[in-house]
Formats: sequence, C-alpha cells, structure tokens
Amino acid sequence: MHDRSIQLQLGIGAVIAAAFLLLVAIPTWVSSPSNVPNIILSPLFWPWVLSGLTGITGLGMIVTALRDPASTEPEASDVDDRSRAWGRLVSVAALMGLTMVLMPRIGMVWTSMLVFAATAFLVRTSHPKTALVSAVLVPLVLYAFFAHVAGVAIPQGDFVRLP
Amino acid sequence: MNFTKIGMACALTLGMTATAALAEYPERPINMIIPYGAGGATDISARAIAEALTAAAGTPMVMSNVTGAGGATGSVAVQNAKGDGYTMLFARVGSHTVNPAMKATLPYTLADFRFVTVYEINPVVCAVTPASGINSMDDLIAKAKEGGVSYSSSGVGSLLQLAAVMVLKEFGIEDPLNTTVHIPQKGGGEAATAVLNGTVTFICTNSSALAGFVANGQLKPLLVTTPERLGGFDAPTATELGKPSLEQLVGWTGIAGPASLTDEVAAKWGEWMATAVKDEKFLAVMEKAGSVIDLMSPDEAKAFIDGQYETFRKLVDELGMRIEG
Amino acid sequence: MSFTDNLMLGLSLVANVESFIALGLGVAVGVIAGAIPGMSATMAVALTLPFTFALQPITGILLLLGVYKGGIFGGSIPAILIKTPGTPASSATVLDGYPLAEKGQAGKALGMALWASCTADLISNLALILFAGFLASFALNFGPPEFFTLMLFSLTIIAGVSGDSLLRGALSAMLGLLLATVGLDLIYGTNRFTFGDANLMGGLNFIAVLIGLFAIPEIIAMVWNPRAFDGQKRSMGKSWVTFADYRRCFKSIVRGSFIGVFLGAIPGIGAAPSAFLSYSEARRTSPNKANFGKGELEGVAAAEAGNNGVAGATLIPLLALGIPGDVITAIIIGAFMIHGLQPGPMMFVLNADIIYALFMGLIVSSVFLFFIGTVAIHGFKYVADIPRGVLFPAVLVLCIFGVFAVNNSIFDVGVMFVMGWVGYFMMRYKVPAAPFLIAFILGPLLEDNFRQAMLMSGSSPVILFRGPITWFFWTLTAITVFAIIRAGIKATRRHGPLTTANQE
Repeated sequence: MHDRSIQLQLGIGAVIAAAFLLLVAIPTWVSSPSNVPNIILSPLFWPWVLSGLTGITGLGMIVTALRDPASTEPEASDVDDRSRAWGRLVSVAALMGLTMVLMPRIGMVWTSMLVFAATAFLVRTSHPKTALVSAVLVPLVLYAFFAHVAGVAIPQGDFVRLP
Repeated sequence: MNFTKIGMACALTLGMTATAALAEYPERPINMIIPYGAGGATDISARAIAEALTAAAGTPMVMSNVTGAGGATGSVAVQNAKGDGYTMLFARVGSHTVNPAMKATLPYTLADFRFVTVYEINPVVCAVTPASGINSMDDLIAKAKEGGVSYSSSGVGSLLQLAAVMVLKEFGIEDPLNTTVHIPQKGGGEAATAVLNGTVTFICTNSSALAGFVANGQLKPLLVTTPERLGGFDAPTATELGKPSLEQLVGWTGIAGPASLTDEVAAKWGEWMATAVKDEKFLAVMEKAGSVIDLMSPDEAKAFIDGQYETFRKLVDELGMRIEG
Repeated sequence: MSFTDNLMLGLSLVANVESFIALGLGVAVGVIAGAIPGMSATMAVALTLPFTFALQPITGILLLLGVYKGGIFGGSIPAILIKTPGTPASSATVLDGYPLAEKGQAGKALGMALWASCTADLISNLALILFAGFLASFALNFGPPEFFTLMLFSLTIIAGVSGDSLLRGALSAMLGLLLATVGLDLIYGTNRFTFGDANLMGGLNFIAVLIGLFAIPEIIAMVWNPRAFDGQKRSMGKSWVTFADYRRCFKSIVRGSFIGVFLGAIPGIGAAPSAFLSYSEARRTSPNKANFGKGELEGVAAAEAGNNGVAGATLIPLLALGIPGDVITAIIIGAFMIHGLQPGPMMFVLNADIIYALFMGLIVSSVFLFFIGTVAIHGFKYVADIPRGVLFPAVLVLCIFGVFAVNNSIFDVGVMFVMGWVGYFMMRYKVPAAPFLIAFILGPLLEDNFRQAMLMSGSSPVILFRGPITWFFWTLTAITVFAIIRAGIKATRRHGPLTTANQE
C-alpha cells in the first residue's frame, strides 16, 4: 500500500470511529447519573472530548493525504502469495479463538501444547523436530514453574489434571 | 453379561467414585481468591491465615489475587465457580455489604454466595491532619455545616465512602451528599495520602490503614467504632459520643463459596477455621494490624452480614446514593 | 544520638552474613522473576513477603528490596530479547532494545541496560539518603491540580515517540486514551463500555494490553510472512558494551536518573512514565535523533536509567511519610508493619539505626545488581540464538501463562490476543505503538486528577493554576507544544510534500 492511501484510509477510519462513538457508542454504553452538578464532572465528558479529538485527527490525516501527490511507483508486495498469507492469518485468529474455548475446559497446559505445535506449523518452522519436542516440554516446564514455584492456580480443566 | 449388568456396574463404580471424592475433600489444592490487590488489608489477612489453614486442611491453599472494580471481578469469579469447594473467596466488607447496597448494576447479590465464616473484624477510625485545626467530632461537624468539608475514599462503593457519609449523618448533617464533597481516589493508600496532603479534610477507614500515620503523629484520630477504646488511637468511641449505632460500622473479612457449596464442604471449613484462628503467627500478624479475631459460625456470619447490609441499604436509599447506571 | 552513632549502629545491623545473603538472594530472585513476563517485580515481592515473617526485620526488608531492584532490571531482559516487556516500566526499553537485538547486538543492549540501571540505582539511592526529607515534603505538595499539569506535560512525550508522522502518533494516542476509559467511572462508579461484564468493570489489564501490543504482533507478522524471517539469523549476542559507549550515553543516564528520582518521590506515578520521559528527553537532545526507535544504544540507556532511578526514590515517601508510591512499596510497607515498624517521620527518630542500615544495604544492592545482572545477561542472551520457528511459538505460550498469572484471569489472555491484532494492524498501517501505551498509562491519571481537582474547587478551573508547581508545568507544556509545532512547520517547509513519500 502507498503511504498516501494508508493515510487516507486511517483518516477516514478515524472520522467514522469518532462519529460512531459520539452518535452510538457513548449514548448507549456510557451511563451517567442524572444529578451531576456540572458537565465537566460527568462520566460522559472525557469520552466526548476524546471522540472529538479523534475526529479532528482523522480530518487532519485526510487533508494531508489529499495534499500529497499520488505516488506512481508500483506497489511491491511483501509476500509471494497473498491469499495463502491471509489464509494463515485467519488460521492464527481461529487458533486464538480456539485457545479461549479450550483453556477452561481441557486446561492451560494441554491447550498450550496445541498452540505451540500449531504456531510452529503456521510459521513453517525450519526445525520441526525441535519444535515438536519443545511443544511438549515448554508448557510442562512453565506449568511446573508457575504452579509450584510462583504458586499460581493454573487452570487445569475437567479431564487430565497435573499434580 | 447383559446390558443391565454393565449399566449397573458402571453406575455403581460411578457412585463409588463420587462418594469417595466427597469423602476425600480436599483431594487437591484449593484455590482461594482474594478480590483485592497485593499489600492491602484483605491480602495481608488472607495470606496470614493461609499457612494455618493449609496445616489444618492438609492441602495447599493457593492464594490468587483477582482485582478490579472494588472487589467485584474476583467475587464474580467465585460466583460462577463450581460448588465443589475448590474455589473459595475471601469476602470483604466492600465487596459484600457496601457494594451490594450501593450498586444496582452489580453482577451478583448476597444470595449468590454461601458464607462459611467471618473471622476478622476491623474497627473504623475517622481522622484528620493536626494542621487542620480540628480536634474533635464537634469541630468537624461545625465545619461541615459551614461547608467546604471533603473526605476521601478508595473509590465509589467502598467502605470508606459509606463510613464517612454514615458518620456525618449520625452526627446531624441532614444531607451529607450535598453539604460535603466526596473525592474518590484509586485505592486505600491514595485515600490516606489525600488527607495528608490536604486534598480532603477527613477520612474514615479501617484502623489498620491509619495505625502508622497516627503513631507518627501525621494524623489525628477523632472517633473509633469499637465498644472500648482502641490501643494506639487516642480518640473517643462512638458510644462515648452518644452514637452507639455507629458500632455497626466495621470492616470484616470472611470466607465464602458459591451458593451451590455443599454442606460437607461447609462443615469441613468450620473445623479448619476453628483450628486456624488459634495459630499464634496468624494472631500476631492480626494483632499488629489492629484487628479483632471473632470466629463466626455460618449462621452467625450470615446474620451479621445481612444486618450490616440492611443498615447500609437503608442509609443508601434514604440519601439516594444508589448507583443505577 | 549523633549521625555517626546512628551510622555505626546501622553498620552493625547490616554488616553480617545474613544481610548480605538476603540482599544477594533477593537481587537474584528479582532478576529471574523480572525476566519472566507476567511474573514482574510486583509478584516476586508479593511471593517473597511470607518468607520474611520469620527473619530479622532488617534482613527481611533487605530481601524484599533486593527482589524489587532486581525485578526492575530483570524486566529489561525479555523487553530486549523477545519484545515482551515483563513490567510496564521496561516498555520504553523495547523501543530501541529490540531493534538492537534484531541487529545481533543483544549483548550490547543488555549490557548497556545493566550499566545504566546500576548507575541510576546508585544515584537514586544517594538521592534517597541525602534528600529524603526535602523530596518528601515536596511530594506532599502534589495534589490533584499539580498531578493534572504534570500529566498534561507528560503527554507531550507522545510527540517524541511518534516516529515520522505526528498525526499517526496522535491517532495512536487517542486509541489508547479511549481504551483506558473502559471500566467503572472513578467519581460516580457508573459503567463505561463494560457491557455488564465484571471482567471489564476493572478496566483492561495493563500487562495484557502491553504484551498484546508488543509481542503478539511480531508473531502474527511472522505467520503472515514466514520467509521474511528465514534468511536473517540473529548472531550470537557476543557483542558487549564498551566503556566508550557508556561515556557517550552518560549524560542521558544521569538525566534519566534525576527524572526517575523526581517522579519516584511523588507517590502514584510509577516507573513507566519516568522511563518514557527520560527516553524522549534523550531523543530530543541527541545528535542521532533519527536513529531513535531503530536501535539506538542511548535510547536503551535513557529508558533503563529512567525506570531504575525510580526504585530508590519510591522509598522516599515510604520511609519519610509512610505513603506507598506504588503496589510494590505497598507490599514493602506491609512487611514493615508485620515487623512492628511504622514508616514515617517518627521512624527516623525511633528506629534511626534501621533506617541507616537500610541505606547502607541499598548502596550495597547496587553493587550486587551489577554482578548478578552480568551473570544473568550471559545466561539469558543465548535466547537470541534460538531459531525463530521455535522461539516465537515458545514466546506465545510464555505470554499466555504470564498474562494469566498477573490477575489469575483467562479473560486477560483474550484481551492480550485482541490487542495483538490491534497491534498487528497498527504495524501494517505504520501507526506507532508507543504513543498508544503512554496514553493508556497517563490517560486515566489525567482524567481522574482533573475531575478530582474540579471536585475540590467546585468546578472552578482557577484551581489548575494554584501554586508555583502548576505554573511550572504549564510553562513547560507551553514551551514543548510550541517547539513541536515549530518543528512540524519547519519539516513541512523544508521537505514539502516529499516527507511522506520518502517514507516508503
């Protein structure tokens, strides 16, 4: 992406976000007691100020972007195959979601082993054997340390519990 | 073997393991949630009793601080836990009487918890700086009637806020919310600092939080809420000043599980606590913090907490302090 | 009792084997704990506390102080090696430390971090010993209006860490300020963007946001393009800091130390703002301004000096007034109380021997930190040699454990993941992350102190101009803002529209 279009996209995004905050989010999700003596003391005041400033920043970005001449250089892609790269990104997002689901159910240690192995696969590790061994060992060592040295109650899940 | 037999065998085995598991409670470490941060009054109290409890229960007690929202985050973590007795809460006056009385949006009520005990009571002390020229409650009240008096707290819905309001109300300020100013701070330490640096006029909080400042002559106590005078605090009691109802105003620490906690677990906890509170090291730490050890049975604890909740709730409703949003 | 008497009494308390063992052990535990993200100095001190119950008061407190000092330095190790600041205080160290490690100069960066830390530690301890009384009474002059103006001034740091585009820095800061509003309102206790969830009521956990913003985007970036990381291998971190490097950075280190002492003496600010302020000052005055954020050794030195300068100074309000400046000192106060000591003005009269023993122990701790830190660096720097295909998954798992441990909350792990994506897209859109972080730390302080000041004065803004301290910070803020605007205009004139195009 060109810097100019980044700036433009960011600016438009900021303006939209500010409008959303001012018109929808703040009225719906920020509550204020009815007996606030002065507007500057209201819980709404600071979010309003911030949303306003975000909007102004966004406008500033749009203006600077429009003032810049468009670059004519062709865009150099950082990856060979964008669709596969996006596929990997979606996988890592799914992996994170899965982690959140699995952690309370099967326990943090087993989930971490899965996360380790899956991440190593996604980054196409050049040392698959080391990665696989570490996938088993690292969570176990971390568990031993956090649970028994630091005294943290690491979630154990409902199935296989570690001592 | 036919199906019924297998089924029966399975049921039997399951039943046996189930009863065995119950009989063996505790068979693994118990996770004790402290809903306030490290170094605070609740944390010190919890960690002081942890060792004695571990010895009494014969299983490790893992202390976990889950902080946030004036104790609500940690309390909710226990509210949603299983009632198997492996997740228990150090409940505190702020999280379990003041908060429920003041906040309509709190995600839990007292009915969501089963108390196994209240073991510690901290009296409340009100104090000012010597530089303020205030020497007694009468001085403070006279000044409050003129206007311009403020008090600090460790946040909205904390004991500190309610204590100050309740004291002012008892001493004849009809509308404490509009005649005086509440300036909330981020925590107990900040609240004490605010009195010291003159941001506010007075503070009412647990004696343990002020003992150091009083001993060093940085703060002057005006009132204690114990029936008798408190060692180290040269101040009259609430009863001496003719306000015995302020004796309700005390901090406490107790232990609770989720509402689904079984009777067996509750009974075990009763036994353990009876042993643990006799531990000398625990007693020494608590004495230095100015606390009174008063072990209550589950019923006594419930009556005590409900009583305090009702008192606070009445005050909150009367003054329109309830937070609806 | 005279000064020498107290000194001798203190010496007799501290000059024994137990005290030295306690200090050494404390520093070692602290460095290791600080080096593990999620463990942090705070947790290490909290965990050590029960062990001190059985010790002599002075031994126990020295043990805790050792852990504290070690922990603050230890946080810089993962910040430099794996871009995962173990403590908020070391987030400024990431800015230049990680790029240095990328260039194969992990050893140099770590060495400089240690040297700067020890120097700042020493200066901070000396300040504590010499000016405790003066700085404490100064700190008591800081009410909400003074805090507000100080925070306003500190927000101008954002301009210094915004990189090439001030507007993007501002956008990043706005995002940080907005996210910091999540939680219960301080003054009225009402909900702001909590959606009725108890986990959100406490606000977003700071460490979760921090690690999410710095460490996770690196991992996602590697998933996006594994090839980019294939070729470059980080060489063994054999490089080591030289005395010439130290001399070059000495001015920044001393400046950072004094910023640390000054901010540390005021309760409630903490080490992170100090590190950022020191960093931005070093950048502003450096001849290599452009190199900051790309692997400038002086940036590491300034950031570490800024956060370690706080360590000794936070003991000023603790000892002189009995006020804890942060969570760690709150725990240490607990330790004093358990041993029957009550920090405050009277302690200098009643237990002067203990005070002097502590002072001497602190000076010795700086020396211990130097030696133990050197050993630790030599142990840890080989992390830089682990192949990334193994290191990055390990970092991810470490972050999961660490972030959970901070507040025993699985929800926080989710916050870290979400912030990881925010950080990743900020990276792709070339929006700097540092302003976000500073704003996230300072935003709530700014708002809370503003509203507290308004409550004090009955909504009259005049209170924001009370006393010389507020005027001092208003003036500083005005000068800085003026300088930023002038620099901005100059840059536009000189390069014209080319500035942004050149960035590609």
